[in-house]
Amino acid sequence: MDKKIGVYICTDCEIGKALDIEGLKKVAVKMKAPVVKEHPSLCLKEGVDFIKNDMAAEGVNAVIIAACSPRVNYDTFDLGIPLVERVNLREQVVWTHKPNDEDTQMMAEDYVRMGILKMNKIEAPEPYKVEDLSRNVLVVGGGIAGITAANQAAKAGYDVFLVEKSDSLGGWMSNIYKQAPTKPPYENLEEPEISDLIKEVRQNPKVKIFTSAQVEKIDGAPGIYNVTVKQNGNSETLRAGAVVEAVGTVPYDATKIDHLGFGKYPNVITNYMMEGLALKGAILRPSDGKPAKSVAFIQCAGQRDENHLPYCSATCCVESLKQAKYVRNQDPDAKVFIFYKDMRTPGHYEYFYKSMQNDPGVFLTKGEVKGITEGDNQNLIVSVENTLVGEKISVDADLVVLATGMVPVTGLGEEILPPGVKPGDEFIPYVMIETNTLNLGYRQGGELPSLAQGYPDSNFICFPYETRRTGVYSAGTVRAPMDITSSKEDATGAALKAIQCIELTSRGEAVHPRVGDISYADFFMQKCTQCKRCTEECPFGAINEDEKANPLYNPTRCRRCAVCLGACPERIISFKNYSVDMIGNMVKNIEVPGEEDEKPRAIVFACENDAYPALDMAGINRLQFNPFVRVVPLRCIGSMNLVWVADALSKGIDGVLLMGCQYGEDYQCHMATGSHLAKIRLSKVAETLDRLKLESGRVQMTQVSISEYHKIPQILDEFLQKLEGFGPNPYKM
Amino acid sequence: MPEQLIKPDLNFVKDIIASGGESLKKCYQCSTCTVVCGVTPDEKPFPRKEMMYAQWGMKDKLISNPDVWLCHQCSDCTAYCPRGAKPGEVLGAIRKMAIKNYSAPSALANMTADPKYLILLFALPVLIFLGIIGSLGHFSDIPRGEDGGIVYSHFIPVPYIDTVFILASAFAVISFFMGIKKYWADMSAGMQLKGNVMDSLKATIVDILSHDRFQKCNVTKDRSTAHMLVFYAFIGLAVTTGWGVLYLYGHEIFGIQGTSLFHFGETPYPLYDPMKIVGNASAFALLLGMLFVTANRMKNAEKAGSGSYFDWLFIVVIFTIVVTGILSEVLRLADVDPIAYIVYFIHLVFIFFLFAYAPFSKMAHMVYRATAMVFARHAQREG
Repeated sequence: MDKKIGVYICTDCEIGKALDIEGLKKVAVKMKAPVVKEHPSLCLKEGVDFIKNDMAAEGVNAVIIAACSPRVNYDTFDLGIPLVERVNLREQVVWTHKPNDEDTQMMAEDYVRMGILKMNKIEAPEPYKVEDLSRNVLVVGGGIAGITAANQAAKAGYDVFLVEKSDSLGGWMSNIYKQAPTKPPYENLEEPEISDLIKEVRQNPKVKIFTSAQVEKIDGAPGIYNVTVKQNGNSETLRAGAVVEAVGTVPYDATKIDHLGFGKYPNVITNYMMEGLALKGAILRPSDGKPAKSVAFIQCAGQRDENHLPYCSATCCVESLKQAKYVRNQDPDAKVFIFYKDMRTPGHYEYFYKSMQNDPGVFLTKGEVKGITEGDNQNLIVSVENTLVGEKISVDADLVVLATGMVPVTGLGEEILPPGVKPGDEFIPYVMIETNTLNLGYRQGGELPSLAQGYPDSNFICFPYETRRTGVYSAGTVRAPMDITSSKEDATGAALKAIQCIELTSRGEAVHPRVGDISYADFFMQKCTQCKRCTEECPFGAINEDEKANPLYNPTRCRRCAVCLGACPERIISFKNYSVDMIGNMVKNIEVPGEEDEKPRAIVFACENDAYPALDMAGINRLQFNPFVRVVPLRCIGSMNLVWVADALSKGIDGVLLMGCQYGEDYQCHMATGSHLAKIRLSKVAETLDRLKLESGRVQMTQVSISEYHKIPQILDEFLQKLEGFGPNPYKM
Repeated sequence: MPEQLIKPDLNFVKDIIASGGESLKKCYQCSTCTVVCGVTPDEKPFPRKEMMYAQWGMKDKLISNPDVWLCHQCSDCTAYCPRGAKPGEVLGAIRKMAIKNYSAPSALANMTADPKYLILLFALPVLIFLGIIGSLGHFSDIPRGEDGGIVYSHFIPVPYIDTVFILASAFAVISFFMGIKKYWADMSAGMQLKGNVMDSLKATIVDILSHDRFQKCNVTKDRSTAHMLVFYAFIGLAVTTGWGVLYLYGHEIFGIQGTSLFHFGETPYPLYDPMKIVGNASAFALLLGMLFVTANRMKNAEKAGSGSYFDWLFIVVIFTIVVTGILSEVLRLADVDPIAYIVYFIHLVFIFFLFAYAPFSKMAHMVYRATAMVFARHAQREG
């Protein structure tokens, strides 16, 4: 079907007062748009009907709305056709620039031109729908998180496979005597709730439970996973649409904490062992079986410590208070010492803390435990410094309990370097620890990529449940240390994310952050050189390889960030509505005034997730910014293909600024590694520029988050000043 | 600093809690109390450290600690405590335990601290005085004075009164002496004390007479006036008592004859006698002072805590003494028989209670606080 383009210019919101609308219309007409109209307020019903009339009467089927930012009124301008393009005249032109100014007008004209060029290049995307989609949810791990995820997914009507490696369900929760208070007045210990949850999951016909079982292999992609589960020597293949990983944690090895005497003195035990003692009915000393009358708890044992676990395991303070209550309930004359770095009892646990603090037999102090020695009767002398009681004190305890922390099961394995990464490389996109947990059939490794300490990586601010594998969601303590209540909430969230993924996949839509995007990548394989860049750089491991190193793209794994498009040196990867050619064409058709006009031009490639909204925010706040820039939104700054830089500079554009999200340790990139990859690509552009005899400083990258919109004017001015220092681009016509 | 092996005394913690320091364990060591305290020295200030020692049952660190007495329970700490740990009340409980610890015999100390034994403690003076009255046959036939009025010395003659109260006072003095001796020894253990203790004593007396420390209180500022009234009323009553002794024995032993103004040997004395004037004025000052004390306590209860049994027993005893004292005089003059005698009887019983049990009741604060203040000066804890 032929495109019939209609360009509609809105004159509301100061646009009509600030711009020469006739001039804009001329540009559109010159670009051969068959229908070019203006309207006083397009977002009103009359405005929408105005467009719809043309669609019906004149056969307009590709609509360009030159009005406000595409980030607003998107529902209003849902015209029931795929080809709707927005030209941002409001936020990024009239709200941020001088009205009725030559430069402002030139900017608006460029944007109209670019909008039409873009429309010329795009095609309506068709959703990718898998055949025989599975709606089953695979839950790996049968502890509190796994059971909850299974129960919740089943409640929502989905069939669940619950795979647990041990012979019974319940995980660590099955090994505790009591659980900390969850109900007012938050002072009384409660029976562990796990038995009820196990009962519920066992009775649920929608949940198939595999105990003493292992996931041998997960092949495929969201909606079409083939899961091989091995149980009692037999392997079975199941079909699943999404996966919840809830494999939990194990206690940190306390023998590594030398100065605390674990393994050396029989009466030094861990908090996990303490639950075992309590479960047996009495807190008895391991050395002689006598009831403990004086128990010292050492908090943060091997935690918040760079030599051991650098993080806080979130639960130990409350757990130790709970265990203190075991001791005090056993013997009203027993003494309990708790030595802490800081007591962390968030939320309602504060009440429990207060109630335990109020117990005359509980002695609390901040302090640093320096060491433990054994005294008479295998009693333990605990030496503590910098306490609130005195500089250096010691107490005599007949049992010492170490609050050891949580180590994620996903951290217990051999660390392998991601493909294409060599030891010592500046950028290591993720850590892959082979733990035999999920055994994903992914080119980038069998487990979830992690960043630190083996916890699966997620964008911790914007979407904590998401991992770097579409369709695989981590939940409970394997995701981050957390307590029972949080694990249940987390598991519920992960189950819902899994369901969401299945449903979006069934409609051929992308998951977060480009929810609903139906475009997907197309590989022009005839030109592929098997360079592996796409398979290595895809932040989500969406692309496998065949034995000849040809990329095997899995659309349902894909988040449509187009990082592959940026990576591919042969430019064979494109989306129906986003391609190298499309952006290149926009860049090349920006009007570049001659050198004598003293009107420099710079292109800002702005990440659609944060930088572009920040530019809009600048407009909403009426901040004025430089009129010589032309903003080109990219799906992710990591989708920037270097050819666009060459396109721009060879046309006489004076410089290119990449505006992306923060990369590095606390990255904010919505596509995990996109902004970092852009940075690396940029470092390689210098050679090209040198060859062109251009200063490498003409192409730069900056990191902007949405909340830093107030920095936009300064960033742009500084960049333009820098370009001025280089002088005009000699390639100007 | 050497490492110190700490053995918390759980029973001590429980005792503090039972003695009015039930909020003790709520303290989380933020030190707000120490910051707002107006009477603490700058070096090693209280009451934060005392709160910690108390939570940890470190009895040795508290019982002999002069700081717990430097505290005047202004209750600024209690008012500002973010956790409701009421340091003022806790230190009050610790003081009570210090009194209990040092006063001999300790059985009597325990009884004074425990409401269970209250009746038993009152039974002693009741029985003593009933015995005296019975043996004199004064239950029914009490001789009247020359002018036909009520004369209390006819009801219970002076020698009986003097014998009972001299014995009770002697007991109290001996008990105080033993307690203070031990207390001083404990406080000064391991310390090098220089200088003249008399200088510190003199300075402390000035301090007490001026009530300077009370002025530093904030939340309970008005306590200064109340306490000053009660304090000087007691001095006035002590002077009156001495004066009475002078009148009586000056006349009986030395044969001094009364004048129209000074009525040696002529009990009951007329109301215009200077001794009587001092006595009555002191009694009214005491009544007024006690009314203030009680009103302040009620008013400040929310901020400063409502006080313990120990405090209230002391208040009730003094209140009863002053009220029955004034009533005795009024009823005598109004010739209300037999209520006047009953009220006088109650008056005597309560005075006995105050005197004999002084080393164990809150009355002991006078002696222990004064001693601690002298010590603190002497040890250069305070200038």
